Amino acid sequence: MKENFYSLEYLPKMHRIGKIIGVVAVLASFMPALTLGVVYGLWPDMAALGTAAVSAIASFGVLWFVEPLSYYPVVGPVGTYMAFVSGNISNMRIPCASMAQISAEVEPGSDKGSIIATIGMGVSIVINTLVLTIGVIAGSSILSMLPASVVGALNYLLPALFGALLVQFGMKSKSHTVLMLVIGILLNIAINGGVFSWLPGANNYLSTLVCVFSSIAIMMVVSKKKAAKAA
Amino acid sequence: MEALKIANSLPMWLACGIAVVLVIAQALIFIKKAMDAAPEVGVTKEQVNKAIKSSALTSIGPSIVVLSGMLSLLVSVGGPMAWMRLSFIGSVMFESIAAGIGTGAVGVQLGVDELTPLALTMAVWTMILGSVGWIIFSTFAADKMEKIQAKVAGSNPAGLTIISSAAIIGAFAAMCSQKLVALNKASVATILGGLIMFVMMQITKSEKLAKLREWNLTIAILLGMIITAVL
Repeated sequence: MKENFYSLEYLPKMHRIGKIIGVVAVLASFMPALTLGVVYGLWPDMAALGTAAVSAIASFGVLWFVEPLSYYPVVGPVGTYMAFVSGNISNMRIPCASMAQISAEVEPGSDKGSIIATIGMGVSIVINTLVLTIGVIAGSSILSMLPASVVGALNYLLPALFGALLVQFGMKSKSHTVLMLVIGILLNIAINGGVFSWLPGANNYLSTLVCVFSSIAIMMVVSKKKAAKAA
Repeated sequence: MEALKIANSLPMWLACGIAVVLVIAQALIFIKKAMDAAPEVGVTKEQVNKAIKSSALTSIGPSIVVLSGMLSLLVSVGGPMAWMRLSFIGSVMFESIAAGIGTGAVGVQLGVDELTPLALTMAVWTMILGSVGWIIFSTFAADKMEKIQAKVAGSNPAGLTIISSAAIIGAFAAMCSQKLVALNKASVATILGGLIMFVMMQITKSEKLAKLREWNLTIAILLGMIITAVL
């Protein structure tokens, strides 16, 4: 074991690789559009594209900033590079990173936790891409191989996973978790009731944003108070 | 039919393949680097293996859910784009809305009207322009967010762990409450997943049943999902 290996050697290297891949990824994402133009002479109608881009950005632009900010404290710096190139963050990357940390018995936020989360997230990207690749080659026939009851039941996999993981992580600080759940439920009732309809696309990000940061703020205040009492 | 022929042509497969290869390459590079770093921070080979195994198992279910989303996108924008977009940056919800906005700007209703080559081009460009912001912002903000987090954590060595644990509880509280306020079968699955997890944690508290502990989550998720499906 080396002293400060994580912060002095590992992290700077990962930042460098992450940034290079991020730039390449932006370029790569334009390849299909350029292919349509160069190979088939199909270019978009600029006026129409302006309208479309504006309305797509109006719906999703806030998420570009809010999602990385909300998920950063959960997935860490290295996870951020991976999660936003591969997508499927709340439904796959975070659950897989958490499950990896639980089974390796490491603390989230520690150096060990970050290494394990990176491995877990990477594995989930490989599996996810493999499943999609097999799926696109086999086409719709692949889903018809699974009985309809199985495909239907899979819709409940994520909710059950969310519930189980909340309990798993929450057992260490029960009252805090109950409080956060109450805040989350009230907030979502308000969102569904249209209280925040003046915020464009609020239902996509508001509840995660508010819950993550209020949870951090509350827990930090409480732990400071506890430390002050102990001192 | 002309548009879908282009959408499913070899040049499009190649162009989209670049992005998919990039996603897998990033995952493999990050896994490799994290595994190299593991012994330096005191993570054992056994912990790494456990992390890989549990992440792989966790990703299968959500991957199949994403696969079913890809098959619906495949019908409207062709195989290569659906395959690329859901391996890369994507989320099913974003992609179909963005594609719809793009085709709508030239008067083609996605999934209703016949796709014209121009509409296909518009869909492809809108999906890209609507999503590059995620990669750009997260790639360039990752190290800045790291510095901010370190400042917030302060001199307290437990600070980072507190932030991460609080963030995870906040994130899962948000996801659970979104499912709970929907008041449908997904809410039932969330509650069941949490309840079964709680029971499993109590049962496996005794040292005799400690071996069962690593199965807690799997049991909670599968039982929660299956019971909800048959209800």
